[in-house]
Order: sequence, then C-alpha cells, then structure tokens
Amino acid sequence: MDNAYSYLESVGKEPSNLIKGLQLIQSTEGYVSDDAIRAVAKYFSLPEVEIEGVLSFYAQFKRVKPGKYKIALCDGTACHIKGSPLVHEWVRQELNLSPGETSADGLFSLETVACLGCCSLAPVMSINGRAYAKLTRKGLVKIIKEYQAK
Amino acid sequence: MSIEFILDGKKVTAEPGQTILDVARANGISIPTLCRDEKVSRTTSCFVCVVRDVKSGKFLPSCSACPAPNQEIDASGETVREMRRTALNLLLSEHTGDCEAPCTVACPAHASVEEYVKAGRDGDFLKSLQIIKKRIPLPMSIGRVCPRFCEKNCRRNVYGKPVAINEFKRLAADLYYDTYMEDLPALTGKKVAIVGGGPAGLSASYYLRMAGVEPTVFDAMPKAGGMLRYGIPEYRLPKERILDRELKHYTQIGVKFEFGKKLGDNLSLDELQKNFDAVVIAVGCWKGSGMHCPGDELSTIGIDFLRQASESGYQAKNPGKVIVVGGGNTAMDCVRTSVRLGSSDVSCFYRRTEAEMPAEKLEIAEAREEGVKFTFLVAPVKLEKRGDKLVLTCRKMELGEPDASGRRKPVEIPGSDYEVEADTVIAAIGQKSVIPAGIPANRFGYADAQPGTAKLADKIYAAGDCLSGAATVVEAVAGGRFAAEEIERDIYGMDVEIDNPIYVSRGKWQHLKKSDLVFVRDNVSEAERAELKMISLDERKTTFKETTFTMDKETVSAEGERCIGCSCTDKTECKLRKHAAEYGCDPEKIKGARLPVSYDTRHPLIIQDRGKCIKCGVCVKTCAEVINRNLLGIKKRGFNTFIGTAFDQGFAGNCSDCGACIEACPTGALDWRNKK
Amino acid sequence: MSTIKTLRVGVASCGIASGAEDVMALLKARANSIPVVGVGCLGYCYAEPMVEAVLEDGSSVIYGNVEATEKSVDNILALGEAGRFEVPPERKKREKIMVLALAGRVDPVDFDDYVAHKGYDGLKRALAMAPEAVVNEVLTSGLRGRGGGGFPTGRKWSFLAAKKAEEKILICNADEGDPGAFMDRSLMESVPHQVLEGMLIAAYATGATKLFIYCRAEYPLAIKHLKIAIQQICDHKLNHLGDRDVEIVIKEGAGAFVCGEETALIASLEGQRGTPRFRPPFPTDSGYKGYPTMINNVETYGNVPLILRDGGAEYAKVGTEGSKGTKLFALAGDLKYPGLVEVPMGITLGEIVFDIGGADRTKVKAVQTGGPSGGCIPVENFDVPVDYDSLKTLGAIMGSGGMIVINNDRCMVETARYFLDFTHRESCGKCTFCRVGMTRMYETLERITKGQGTEEDLDFLADIAPKIKAGALCGLGQTAPNPVLATLRYFRHEYEEHIREHKCRALQCNAMVKLQIDHDKCVKCGLCVRSCPVQAINADFEIDPAKCTRCNSCLDACPKKAIYRVHNGDEK
Repeated sequence: MDNAYSYLESVGKEPSNLIKGLQLIQSTEGYVSDDAIRAVAKYFSLPEVEIEGVLSFYAQFKRVKPGKYKIALCDGTACHIKGSPLVHEWVRQELNLSPGETSADGLFSLETVACLGCCSLAPVMSINGRAYAKLTRKGLVKIIKEYQAK
Repeated sequence: MSIEFILDGKKVTAEPGQTILDVARANGISIPTLCRDEKVSRTTSCFVCVVRDVKSGKFLPSCSACPAPNQEIDASGETVREMRRTALNLLLSEHTGDCEAPCTVACPAHASVEEYVKAGRDGDFLKSLQIIKKRIPLPMSIGRVCPRFCEKNCRRNVYGKPVAINEFKRLAADLYYDTYMEDLPALTGKKVAIVGGGPAGLSASYYLRMAGVEPTVFDAMPKAGGMLRYGIPEYRLPKERILDRELKHYTQIGVKFEFGKKLGDNLSLDELQKNFDAVVIAVGCWKGSGMHCPGDELSTIGIDFLRQASESGYQAKNPGKVIVVGGGNTAMDCVRTSVRLGSSDVSCFYRRTEAEMPAEKLEIAEAREEGVKFTFLVAPVKLEKRGDKLVLTCRKMELGEPDASGRRKPVEIPGSDYEVEADTVIAAIGQKSVIPAGIPANRFGYADAQPGTAKLADKIYAAGDCLSGAATVVEAVAGGRFAAEEIERDIYGMDVEIDNPIYVSRGKWQHLKKSDLVFVRDNVSEAERAELKMISLDERKTTFKETTFTMDKETVSAEGERCIGCSCTDKTECKLRKHAAEYGCDPEKIKGARLPVSYDTRHPLIIQDRGKCIKCGVCVKTCAEVINRNLLGIKKRGFNTFIGTAFDQGFAGNCSDCGACIEACPTGALDWRNKK
Repeated sequence: MSTIKTLRVGVASCGIASGAEDVMALLKARANSIPVVGVGCLGYCYAEPMVEAVLEDGSSVIYGNVEATEKSVDNILALGEAGRFEVPPERKKREKIMVLALAGRVDPVDFDDYVAHKGYDGLKRALAMAPEAVVNEVLTSGLRGRGGGGFPTGRKWSFLAAKKAEEKILICNADEGDPGAFMDRSLMESVPHQVLEGMLIAAYATGATKLFIYCRAEYPLAIKHLKIAIQQICDHKLNHLGDRDVEIVIKEGAGAFVCGEETALIASLEGQRGTPRFRPPFPTDSGYKGYPTMINNVETYGNVPLILRDGGAEYAKVGTEGSKGTKLFALAGDLKYPGLVEVPMGITLGEIVFDIGGADRTKVKAVQTGGPSGGCIPVENFDVPVDYDSLKTLGAIMGSGGMIVINNDRCMVETARYFLDFTHRESCGKCTFCRVGMTRMYETLERITKGQGTEEDLDFLADIAPKIKAGALCGLGQTAPNPVLATLRYFRHEYEEHIREHKCRALQCNAMVKLQIDHDKCVKCGLCVRSCPVQAINADFEIDPAKCTRCNSCLDACPKKAIYRVHNGDEK
C-alpha cells in the first residue's frame, strides 16, 4: 500500500472499521484526499466509489484541506434561539466566509455543527476544539483578531 | 409454513419470505413500484408501493413488508392511492427533465414534433408525413399557415433562432401527400354528420374515417375548406394548387361532402339526428365585430372583405385608400390583400403599440415591407361619408395599467381627436360564432359543451372555433380530433380512458441557459436557421402568388440537425411517468427546487442524467450484485443524494456496456444515448 | 471550622467552555498540599466555572462563576463568603437526584472513587443472580427507554435474552444527536463508569458477547473518559461476566443525526452509509452483522446500576404509574438557570421551566421538548405532568430530554423552520417522503419567514405533514414534521400574520423587520456607526434599510439602548 498511509495498519482490515480508518486519515491529514480514498479502498478491499459514498454521507469528513484554525459555529437549538444566525452573519462580515469554505490565506475554515453540547452557554462556537461561550459581536471580533495575530 | 391474511377483503396465502407485493401480484392485484427489482436485494426507497394495515392504520412498503397471519391489508383503497399519488407527486416535484419535447407539448394538436423532425433529419420525409398525419390531417395547409406554437417554444431559442419546424410539415406534405394513402379500416356502418367543412370539421371527418366511421360533411358554401378557403388569402395558401389538392384526399378516403347546405336553412337537425349516429357542429366564427362607433355601418367587416376577395377569385376591385382598424392576423390579411388588389395607400390603425399587437411578428414585418403604414395608439370615434370619401375621426390613446389579459390598457387622451380620409375602412376587430338554432349555446355565443368534453347534447358534439372562439387552424384540427375520439368512444361504447399524460418540463426556454439543456445527441448543428425564400417584393405587391417557396430536402434535413432532441430518452418506458399518469398526478402540484441539471455523456453508449434520478439505488445494486463490477455508488445524503461513479470520472474502462443498470433504472436517469 | 480536604473543579465541556481549566491550574498552583480534582458536571451550567471545597467534616462549600484570578482563587482557599453558590431552594425542593448523584462528586477517571461511592455494587448483585432474575428486576423497575421512544427496557432485554446465537451484540447509543440536548454527554463525562456498569449488567442479563458504544465524535472528553474507564474495567476484570469475557468497543460516530435510528446506527457501526432499513427484521433478530443486537441509550444504561443496587421495586417508588424513575433534562433557551436537571417523572412542565429554570412567567410562550422530532407546548399547557404518555397527547414527545424555553420575542414559524432546516439536511435521502417531502416543507417555511408565503402554503403544510409522518421509512421522517404540526396547532396565528400581514410579532424574521434609531434617546456618540459592518448608518444617524443586514451589531453597541427592531412600515 501507499507508504504515505501505512499508519492505516493500526486499524483492523475488516470493512466495519472503514469509518474508523477514515477518521484516522482525517485526524492525521486534516481531510481525506483522493489519494487517501484510493489507499483506503485498497486497504479495505472495497470499491473506491463506496468509500466516497460513505465519506460523503457523514458531516465529519472533509474533502478539502481545512484552514489552520477550524471554526465550528454551533447551530444547535439553544444557540439558534440565542442568536446563532447573527453569529453566522458576524463571522461572514469579519472573514467573508460561508460554511464549508476556507479563507484565501488558509488561516480559517468555517463549518456549522449541529450541537457542541454547551447549550446553556449559547451561543457557542469552537476554534480547533476550544469552545467560546456566550458570544457577542464584540467578543467574537476580539477572538478572531487574537487568532489572526497568532 | 404458509400463512393466511386478508388482502383487499380477500383471504390469500403467503409463503414464507413472500412480501405483500409478491402475494398481491400472485393474486392479480396491481401495486405500482419504482424501486423493487427482483434481481437485487430490496432498497425500500420509492414508497410508491405502500399499502395500509387496516387495523393499525399504518402504511407499509409492500415491497419489503411480509404479511402477518390474519393481517388485513388494504392495497387499493383511496387513502392508499392518495399516499401513492403523494409519493409520485413528490418525485415529480424534484424531477428535472422533459417527458416530452416542449415543441410537442406546445403544439395544440400534440403532433410528435421531435419524431417527425428526426425522420426528416434522416431524410425519410414519408415517415415524417406519416407521423404528422397522426395528429395533423391538413399538413399542406398547416405547413403554410401555422403560427408555429412549436417553434415559439423550441429550446433553440435559448441560443439563436428556433428550428424551422413547420418546413418539415410543408415539405413532407408537398413531397408525399398526393401519393401517400393510409391503411383505411373497414367501415363499421356507423355514420356521422359534420356541419361545417372547415379545418375542425375536416379533421373530425378524417379521424372518424380512421375509426371506421362514414363521415358526411355539410357546408353552406360551394366548396370545402372554410376559413382555409374563404378567410386565409391566396398568397398565404393557394386555393387550387394547394387546398384543392389537399381536400381531394378526403374524397379519396371516403368522406362525403354536401355543399350549399346550411343548418336551420335547408338542413334540419332532426333529420341529421335521425339519419346519423352523431352530429358534429363545426360552423366556425364567421360574424365579424364592428368598430362600435357612430357610422360603423359604413365600414367593411374584415372577414367579409377576405371572403369576398376569395369568392371573386382574387379579382375584386381596387379598394382605394384603405384604413384597417385592428391589430390581429385578420387585420394583416386585410392590409396585405388590399395591397395586392391595387391599393397604393394602406394603413393599419391600432389602439395600443406594436408590442401589444396580437398579429404574428412576421406578418407585421412582411406587411411593412409591402408598404403598409402603421399608426399606433389610436382608436376610431366616428365614421362619416363626405362626398364619395369616408372620414374617420380618431382619438389618440396612451397606455395605462395592465388589464386582465396582462397587456397595458389603452386610455383615451381627451381633446386629441383628428380626422383621416379613406375610400375603404375595414374593421378587423374580431370574430364571433353564430350558433344555429336548436344547438346549446353559452352566454358568450359559443357552443356549450361540458368542460373537458366536446359533447353538447345526446349525439351532438362541437369542434373548432364555434366551441373555442376564434383560434388557429391547428387548434381547430386538434378540436376536430378531440371530438372524433369522443364520438368514437360513445358510438362504439368504449370505456373512457382517463388521458392524463405527464409532462414534466425543465421550464420555458425564456428561463433557461444553455447549460440547463441536455445534449444527448452529438453534434447538434450550430448553423443558422434556414429561412424561407420569397418571391420578389414587386410580385408580392402586385399578385396573389404564394409569397414563399417550399424548401428543398437537403435544406430541411440539415435544419433537422439543429434539433437538440429535448424529450426524455425514456419517455415511453419511464415507470415514474407511467404510474404518475395512472394515479392522476400533476408535476406542478408540489412546488420546490428541482434537481440540478447534471448529466454525463462521456460513455459512448450510455447517458446518465442525474436530474431524473429517484435515488432508489437499484442501478448501484445491479452493478454490484448482478454484474459484480461496483461502478456506481450512492453519494451525499438528503436532497443532495446522487448516484455517481468513482471520483465522478464516468463509467470506468471495465464497464462492459451490458446495460443492466439501464434495464434496472425505473426512469431515464440511466439510458442508452440513442433514442429509440 | 473545618479545613478543606479536597477541591473539586467542574471540568466537563460546559465548565471548560467557561474557563474552568484556567481556574483549576491556578488553584493547583496556590492550594499547596490540598488535592485539586477535576470532576464532572453538577448541572448548574449557568454558574460555571464551579469549585466545590469538600471539608474534613464531610460538608462542602460551593463557589460559582469563579474567575481565574488569584483574588478569586484565594477567596476559595480561605473559604471566603464571596461567590458562594447556593442551589436555588425552589430547585432543591423539586429535583430528585438519582442518576446524577455522582456527577460532579467523583473524579470521572478514578475507578476507586467510583467504587467508594457504591459503584459496581449493582453489577456485583446482578452477577450473584440468574440472568433471568436480572431481566425481571428491570421489568419490575418499570424503566422505559430514555432515548425518546419509551419502550419498556426490561422487555427489550428479554427479547435479546431469548435469542440463541454464537454472538449477541449490545449497543449503547451515545450519538446524542438532538441539537439542544447534552444529558448523555454530561453523564458520560462525569460518571463514565455508571454507564459502563449499566452495560455490563445488561450484557450479563441478555447473554451479550460484544458491547459497542456509538458516541458522537463531537464529544472528545466523553470518549476520553470512557476509554480510560474501559481500560480500568479490563484491569479489574469486571468484563468477566460469569462464564465469559465481553469486549467493549468505542466507535465514534461521524456526524449523522439519522444514526440515532437503530438500523442506521448498526449500518454505521458496520462501516457503511448510515441509512436505515425497513423493520422487520428487528435488530434483536438480525442486527450488527446479522447477530441479535440490542440498543439502549446512555441514560437508560445510567439508570440500570441503581435498579440492581437498590432493587427494582425500590426504584419504581419514584415516578408515575406508567413512567417510573427520574428523567434528565437539558434546560436551555430563555431562562435564568440553564443547565442539567434531574426530576421525578410526573413533575409538571411549569415546575421545571419556572421553578427550577427560573424562566420569566410573563414572557415565556412555549417550551420545545424532544428536539427536532418533538413539538412545542404552549404555556397554557404547562400544568401537564411530564411523562411519556401525557406529552404525546399534546403533540410533543418526551424525547431524549432537550428542553428549550421559548420567549415571546422568538418567532414560532422561524423556530419550526429551524428544525426543518436541520432535519431535511439530516435526511439520509433514501425514502421519498423524507428526502423530498421534508425539503418541500422546509422550502415552504423558508418562503413564509421571508414574507413570501401564501394561504396555499399553509394548506400544503397541513396536508403533507401527516403524510410524511405516515409514509417515511424511519423515525427521523416519521417525527420530523412534528415541530410544524405543533406550531400550526398552537401558533397558527403567527403563520397567518406572516402570510397575511407580512408581520413577525417576535420581530425576528429579518425580511419583515428593520432597525431604527430613537432620536430622542440617541446621544450621537457614533458607536453604532463604527460597529456597523456594512456602513448602513449615515451621519444623521439614519439606518438605510437597503444596506442593513439586520445583524444587530449597532443594537448591541448602543450604550443608550436607542436602537430597536421594528416592523417594516412601522415608525417609532
């Protein structure tokens, strides 16, 4: 198999581990490339088109390289009620990003997630897994500026 | 061990593993399904096969649900049918395709335009004529005078001019009309009387004869043709050279004619009812409207003017200075006839602007070429005779708010009156029908049929302008066939088949871009539209010679290469379309975004058109489970689900072109590229 | 006065999001020899970060909203009066802590700590009984599935127990997919052993050989704690159930709501697209790889150790006739005390929302239960008892326990639109009714919230919704129209206002709302002008509605509260 993906060996070869294998690729590479799909298909002895089918079914998997900082906007019920649509608008205004996009400088990528599970602190977002609670426009701009300055 | 359960009130037996669908089929109960294919494992996707468990009221997909002992299943009731109808309507609401080509749908007669154009493209104009005559029994005339609903809806309008469709009819008829004879069915002894020998009556007679009926056409005039002979001028439709030739065929197939017979005059309805199995009223619209202003009686009615010109053999006297009031096709016929009768000063007065004129654009342009002057935003107020001249008082108008027709309403400008002098003032405002006494008429003065039928009373039917109001020849022909079919059903006592053809459409070309079109055919010609060659302008102005020449075979065949071939490759076999028709579905019932246009013609033989995919995944399973190739897969989810190939690179080299996926596909989402 | 024995810091996700890790680091630096332990969630999310000082005498002092400053930390170390947290008395009176008894009180990853708090007593007692007796104990308890369906847990167990197969599979559904729900996360993060103990008891009772936990990947802390706990179980050989060792595997979900549906979850476990299939066969007959399979949710398993420890009859003393025990609710939305609560079945909605949640009685108009599959219950019906059957009669469901309180300034049409936006995107795409039907419903609601709705749209929604419920293949489609049906039932007037008057009474639907400055209050400070990202406010402090995106930036920036949302056409 392609040496670049030899770390797949840590996952059992049975097809039921396919999602686990893809999660491993994604956590290592940040996304799942065409080459990775070919490697996974070979490893699990499954058709490439089936790998694509599984990948594209689950929201977790990314097919393009994400930004350095992955912003996840929570659009769970509590966040929505507490104004997450406004947070979306603010992020759009600050970074000119829509969900699913990565900024031209490769710094930020944006996605919306169903729920981060911090409903009582709504509205919430996370950047590279770190949660930011009770967002206001001012607070959001400050957070983004901090990441830009890093 | 087999079990017993109740299906549509009947006790039936199910073997182990049998689904409700299996048992229903074994017992002759028809349940529609799109996604069940015995060759592969179940997909349980379309839910068109739902049945109802009577006790719980729950709906079950019969393709997957096995019956329980003594379960009571409703497979045919109205609630079940409504669920199936909803499932089908939902699928239709996302379906992106054209069940039929828009030209065919637009044609009032629903002539199979794409097919007769294809035959012509292939050089087989006899086949073309045969296809045309299934719906248009007057192809020589209509090939000349049709306002071309088909071309106005041709998708080539998206980029350039439409295919010159009408020329296929004209050429095919000119080439083969005289020699082609249909296989005539034997007469059954049934007889139908048709009152009126215009296009509607003729069409009814033709299709009745094709159904084994002996038709007799009664006409008040000395010759047949109606509006074709006495309305449409010679230069558009030559009477002896074309119309007489076309009508000769009617005598040949056994249509009987009796002339000089007028219903209520020298023809009695009672007699007709006594001697015939049915009577068709097709008396047309021959009463012209006046200008409704003082001195109206001094004007000439447009339709009368045209009839007199015809009756005189187009030898009528020079009308002098002519003003024609009106903006429709009759007005254009009047001005252009006036020019040909020798008038050197012909004007058309219309109360709105050129943009609102109902006349064909081409007619307006040709009239202008022939020297006709146009005055817009003017309405007649008064007509007087001063000496041997007529004086028309006109009032200027301006456009106001849109009216019921959507056109902006003309509003008078006070104090703007002025006078114009003329020798002849022709009112070409519109025509009405005169329904003979004893025939049911509605408050608008037209024959009164039940909605959706041609039937007026027992054994009495109507067709054409006298039923629909003044319309076109092709609409009259469609009406004639409609009446003929209804009479056929009635006199032979046939079951009424509910005709509910499904026409899913990508939409009107006005809303489409080239990228919205699907090009199944390679090499759709990018050439300019073929244009009709005309006689000289001088001849046009001084003689009644036909203004255009029939195109030659090469030109028309080449024109056929411009046809995109919009209709679905699977239109005759599509299960979605078939079941939707059976269940009385309507593609417009549920509104919403349709699937994006996305098709793949990289395979030389197979087209994949995602817009038509219902995501049942039977193709995926067929390729995987039956063929063992795994070339297809289901990708994404929800409304964005689609069937794709690996990396969307098309069918890979190891596709054996076996077509099993095509066989399995319930719609045209996967099909052979070459249309049958 | 007693001295501090241990310091517990709530470092579950909510706590971390509020900065608890910084507090904990600071405490460790300044607490000298006092042990500082990271614990789970106490359920008072509104007061995070929280620190509990456990005293030598066994009592404790709790501090809320602790700041990561030396001053605030030293105040705790000195057991100062400032910042002390008291459980609101109304809440104390009404909640019934059973399942969450150890949440926030034990170190989630300290095996001994759990055992010291009677952990694994339930398993021990179960192992001393015959498996059938364990099933009977659960039947006696009256426990019903906490995932939303409410199917009697003991009966489910008996189905699997009756199967003969070389392998039997037990699954814990930890894919808590309802947006607005975090009960399962909290329980797994705070007391992972309790969930695992429940699974082990179930495995023993049913003869299961392989145990899966299907957990959503968005819960990294829960996964981490579970992994540690599983290792500890293996180290202590607790996975040896009488005659066999069982394997416990964590599988991370990959983000698909439909995988809460059991057949979809199984497909996902098998490495496939998470599409449901028609039942029967039911998973207990043919599930994971064709083996008999049983699925329970996290909270259900969380109840099991208590039942086995104290006995089913004792457990059944709590709750109502048809719904036994307690229920966890994740309270969020428009209320003063959002957080996690555990209440006895049969408590009224009003008690939860007003007495425990501290919501404003004058402003609340509804509560949404059961997430996107549930319905809205208007404030008029808040006297209804919370149990499986009562909620159903109101067109709502118990659901997994998300409870969102909705105030008057929220639009119910927009709320319904939100839920359908979610469900139609989460549809797996397999069956017609859900894939196309839900999309059509969503589009219709989108039109109405944009002021483009028609009366026909209302008829369409009323017509199609029950058909989708009746026709869809799985639970997602069968329940997804509920938010629309419930809002149409109780808040039809809001729909009608949107359609007929182009009016959103909550001033939420942007297409019908504009922002306006009250010039009497405005002091022309210019903060709004500077805050506006699209330069929609001119020098005369007028907002250009054509440019304004209704993002509320100016509204938040205004120190005088002089900016309002008003209806299009209204002048203030």
